[in-house]
Amino acid sequence: MSTQAGARGSRAPYLFVAPAVLLFVAFLAVPIGYAVYLSARGLRLTGKGIFGTREEVFVGLDNYARTLTDPEFLAGFGRLALYGLISVPLTLGAALLFALLLDHAGSRARRFSRTAIFLPYAIPGVTASLLWGFMYLPSTSPFSYLTRELGLGGIPFLDGGGIYPSLANIAVWGGVGFNMIIIYTSLRGIPAELSDAARIDGASEWRIAWHVKIPLVAPALVLTGLFALIGTLQVYGEPTTLKPMTTEISQSWVPLMQIYRDAFLRDDLPLASAASVVLAVGTLVVSVVLLRITQRRAFGGMQ
Amino acid sequence: MRIKGVSGPIAALGLAVLLAACSSGTNGGAGSTATQAAETGPVTLQHWCWSAGQKLKVEAFNKAHPNIQVRLTDAGGGTDTAAKLLTAGRAGNAPDTACLEYQTLPAMIVAGALADISAHTADVKDAFSPEVWTLTSFDGAVYGIPQDVGPMVMVYNRKRFDELKIEPPATWEDFAKVAADVREKDPEAYLATFAPAEFGNFAGLAQQAGASWWKIQDMTWTVGIADVPSLEVAGFWQGLIDKDLVKAEPLLTPEWNNQLNKGKILSWPSALWAPGVLYGIAEKQAGDWAIAPLPQWTKGDSRVAFQGGSAIAVTKNSQHAQAAATFAKWMNTDKAAYDIQIAEGEYPASLAGQQATSSSPPPKLVANQKDYWEIAAKAAQSTIPHISWGPNVSTAQSAFQDAAAAAVRDKTPLAEALKKTQQTVVDDMKATGFKVAGP
Amino acid sequence: MRAHALPHHRARILPTLVLLAGAFYCLVPVAWVVVAATKSSTELFSTFTFAPGTALLDNLRDLFAYGDGQFLLWAANSALYAGAGSAASTLISTLAGYAMAKYDFRGRTVLFYAILAGVLLPGMTLAIPQYLIMSETGLVGGYWSVLLPGLISPFGIYLARVYATASVPDATLEAARIDGASEYRILGAIGLRMMLPGMVTIFMLQFVGTWNNFLLPYIMLSDESKFPITVGLYTLLSKGSSEPALYGIAIVGAAVSVIPLIALLLFLQRFWRLDLLSGGLKG
Repeated sequence: MSTQAGARGSRAPYLFVAPAVLLFVAFLAVPIGYAVYLSARGLRLTGKGIFGTREEVFVGLDNYARTLTDPEFLAGFGRLALYGLISVPLTLGAALLFALLLDHAGSRARRFSRTAIFLPYAIPGVTASLLWGFMYLPSTSPFSYLTRELGLGGIPFLDGGGIYPSLANIAVWGGVGFNMIIIYTSLRGIPAELSDAARIDGASEWRIAWHVKIPLVAPALVLTGLFALIGTLQVYGEPTTLKPMTTEISQSWVPLMQIYRDAFLRDDLPLASAASVVLAVGTLVVSVVLLRITQRRAFGGMQ
Repeated sequence: MRIKGVSGPIAALGLAVLLAACSSGTNGGAGSTATQAAETGPVTLQHWCWSAGQKLKVEAFNKAHPNIQVRLTDAGGGTDTAAKLLTAGRAGNAPDTACLEYQTLPAMIVAGALADISAHTADVKDAFSPEVWTLTSFDGAVYGIPQDVGPMVMVYNRKRFDELKIEPPATWEDFAKVAADVREKDPEAYLATFAPAEFGNFAGLAQQAGASWWKIQDMTWTVGIADVPSLEVAGFWQGLIDKDLVKAEPLLTPEWNNQLNKGKILSWPSALWAPGVLYGIAEKQAGDWAIAPLPQWTKGDSRVAFQGGSAIAVTKNSQHAQAAATFAKWMNTDKAAYDIQIAEGEYPASLAGQQATSSSPPPKLVANQKDYWEIAAKAAQSTIPHISWGPNVSTAQSAFQDAAAAAVRDKTPLAEALKKTQQTVVDDMKATGFKVAGP
Repeated sequence: MRAHALPHHRARILPTLVLLAGAFYCLVPVAWVVVAATKSSTELFSTFTFAPGTALLDNLRDLFAYGDGQFLLWAANSALYAGAGSAASTLISTLAGYAMAKYDFRGRTVLFYAILAGVLLPGMTLAIPQYLIMSETGLVGGYWSVLLPGLISPFGIYLARVYATASVPDATLEAARIDGASEYRILGAIGLRMMLPGMVTIFMLQFVGTWNNFLLPYIMLSDESKFPITVGLYTLLSKGSSEPALYGIAIVGAAVSVIPLIALLLFLQRFWRLDLLSGGLKG
C-alpha cells in the first residue's frame, strides 16, 4: 500500500476514523478495562440488614485464583477441546472438499448444491440447535426411527459420548457453507492457466487439487481455520439450547456457560469477569500462536 | 444501587457524554419514574411477572385504580426474572414490583434489592395463614405479598391406574411397591420420573422427611443439604433408580411429554400447579387424571412441603413504594384477582382465595375428580410451618442440578451429589463472608 | 461459470454425488422445520417426523396472535437491529478502512493492531462488561443497548481496509486531488463508489451476524416487546417446558423467520465479493 504526500497533514483521515475509534473505545476498550477492574473486586458481606448485605470490595487476585483452580472451569476447556477436535477439522475438510468439487468442471448441479450448502449460514444458531435437537430426541428423530425399524434400536445422540459428535454436527452444519464460499471464491481467483498447464502435463484432477489449488488457497484456509477456532472457544448457544433435553450438559459445560451462570444465576459478576478475562487472553494467545505457526500468511500486516 | 467507583473512569474517558447523547432518544423505562418530582397525576408502575393469569389480573387492577397504572413485562420464567432483577437493581433500573419465587427472596434481600414493606402490610397480614405469611416475612420485615402456593400432592393418571389395577400409594414404601408393580404389568411404563434438574421438588421431599437446608441463629448459618433426612430421601430414590423402577431423565422435554401422552408415565409427585402444566402437554387426557395426597414417610402422617409458588415484591429502586404495596396487596387478596388465578389453575396464597376454590370446577386435566378441591385444601392445611431458604439458593440449585445429573448419568450415588452440593454452598457462603457452622 | 476445457468425462458422477449428498445434509433440517410447522403439538410427537401435519393454518394463526402480535414485533426489532445497525456499522467500517488504506496518519499502525486484536477477541467475552457499561449509563433494556455495541465491527473495518486497498487505485485519487477536489468529495465521488461491492459484502456479513446474534440481546433486554426473533423464540422454547403448546409456535416461528433471510441471501449472493476477503490475505 502507498501513501500520498498530498494527503499528509489533512484532517480528513482523522475524521474518517473518528466514529470507529470512538465506538472502539466505548464498546471494546472500556468494557475490557472495566472487566479487568471488576475482576479484582468481590461481593462480601457487611453487617447491615437482617441477613447482612453483600457489597463490593477490593479482593486482589482472589477471583483469578478461584477461576484457575476451579476444576470445573478447566474441565470446560477439556470438553471444548474435544468438541473442537471434531468440529474444526470436519468443517474445514468438508468446506474444502465441496469448494474443490464446485470448482471442478466435471461436477453437475453446482449452482443448486452451492446454494443448498450455503443455506444453513442464514439460520440462527439457536434455531439450528432446536432443529437438530428434535432430530436427536428418540421419539422425534427420523434417524432413530429408521434404525429402530431396521431392528437396530435408537441412536444415542444425546447420551454419553454421543453428545460431542451431536454438538459438533450442529457447528459443522452451520459453518461448512460459509467456509466453502470463502475457499471457493479463493479458488476462482487462481488463473485457469495454472490448472490447464498441469492438465496438459497429464496430472489427474486430484493431483491438480492437491499440488496446485490447495497451496494457492492456503491463506483462505488459515483464515477459515482461525475463525473456526475462535468460534469453538465461544460455543454457548448450542449446548444451552440442547441442555434441557439431556443430563449430559451441565451448567458449566463450556467456559462461557459457566461465566453466564456465575454472572447471572449466582450473581457473582466479579468472578465471571475474571473468567472472561482468562478466556479472552486464552483466545488471543491461541490465535497468535496459530498465526505464528502458519507463518503469518494471513492478515499481512502493515508493510 | 450503583457500583461505586466506576462512574469516575468512565466520565474521564468521555464515554458518559457520548452515551448520554445517545440515550436522549430512548425510552427510559422504569428509570424515568425515578426522576419525577411531586406525584401529581396517576402513578405508573413497572411490574415484571411471567405467570399465565398475570395479564388479566393487571388489567383488572388498572381498571379498578385510575390513579395507579401498572405496566406488565414478562422478563422470562422464575429463574430468569430473579437473575435479571438483581442485575437491573444494580444498574438502578429495576421495575417497581416483580413476581419472585419464594426460594429466591433471601438472595434478593442479601443483595439489597427489595424494600421492606412492613409499614404497609398490617391490614393484609391476617388474610394469609401464618405458614404462608412466613414465606415472605423475615424477622419482622416483610419483603413481599404471597401470590400463589404449591402444596405438594401426587398427580396421577387415574385411567391408567385403573387399567393396571393399582392404587395411589399412601406411603413412600408403598410407592416403591407400586413402582415395581407398574414395571411388571407394563414394561414400557414407569410410575414416576426422577428428574435431576428438579431442585425445588427434591428440596420439598427432603423437607417433608424433616430436612432443614438452611437455618440462621445469631447470625450464624447452618446448612443441612446433606443432613440425615436428605440423605435418606436420596437413598430412597437411589434404590428406585438402581432397580429401574422410576425413569431417571429430565421432565417436560419433548421426549418426556411424548411418553406421558402415550400413557407411559403414570404420575408426577409435585404440587397443586401440576394439573395446569400437564393439561398443556396432554390435552387429550383431560378428565383422565386425578390428585392424591403426597405419599408419607410414616403411615398416618400428613406432612407436606411447598414446591414453587411466588410472591409479589417491591424493589428498593421503586420511588412509589406505597402505590407498589397497594398493587401487591390488591393482586393477592382481592376477589377479582383470585378468581382469575383459580380460573388459570393457580392455587391462591390468600385464605379467601383458597376458600373460593371450593365453589369452582376442578382444573380441566382432573375434571372428573369430584373431591379435587377437598384434597387440595387438605394438602394446603398440612404444610410444614416454617420453610427456610438461604441467601445463595441459586448456587445450591445449579450445584444440585449438575451434581444430580452427573450422578444419574455416571451411576454414582445421589448421596455424594448432595454432599458435593452442601460443600459448594458452604464454601460459597464462607467466601462471601457469612458465618457458617461446621466444615 | 468459468470456461474450462473438459478433457475427460469419467470423473463426473462421483463429484456430483458428493455435492448432492452435501446439499441433502444441509437441507434435511430445513425440510424438517417446514414439515414440523404443519403439525399440531400432538402430531409433532405422534406422527412420523417427515409426515406432513394438518395444522399449518392454525399454527400460523397462533403464531401471529401470540401476545397480541408479538412475533411481528420481534421480526420488526430484528429488522431494526440487523438492518439499521448493519447499515450504520458498514458506513463506519468503510470510512475507517478507507482512511487506513489510503492515508498515512499518526496512530495508524497502533489502530491497525488494535483492530486486529479486536478481530481475534471473542465477542462473547465482552458481553458481560458491555452489559455493565450499559447498566452504568442506564441504557440497559433499551434499543440502544443492542444497537450501539453492534456498530463497531473490527472484522468489518479490517475487510474495508482490504477492499479499499484492492479496489481504489491511488492514481485515481491523485488525479482527483490534482483537479482540486477536496478529500471529502474524493471519498463521496470515488472512494465509496468503488468500494460499493465490498460494502455490500460487509453489510451482508454484519446483517447475518446481527440477525443471528443471541447472547447480547438476551443479556441486555428484559422487555419482551424489544426482543429480536432469536431471543423471542428462545423464550418461547424455555416457556415451552411449562406451556408445551408454545413449542408449536416456536417451530412455526423458526420456519417463518428463516424465509426472509434465505430470500435475502439468494438475492444478494451475486453481489458480494468474498473473493476479495481471501484474496486480500495474500498481501
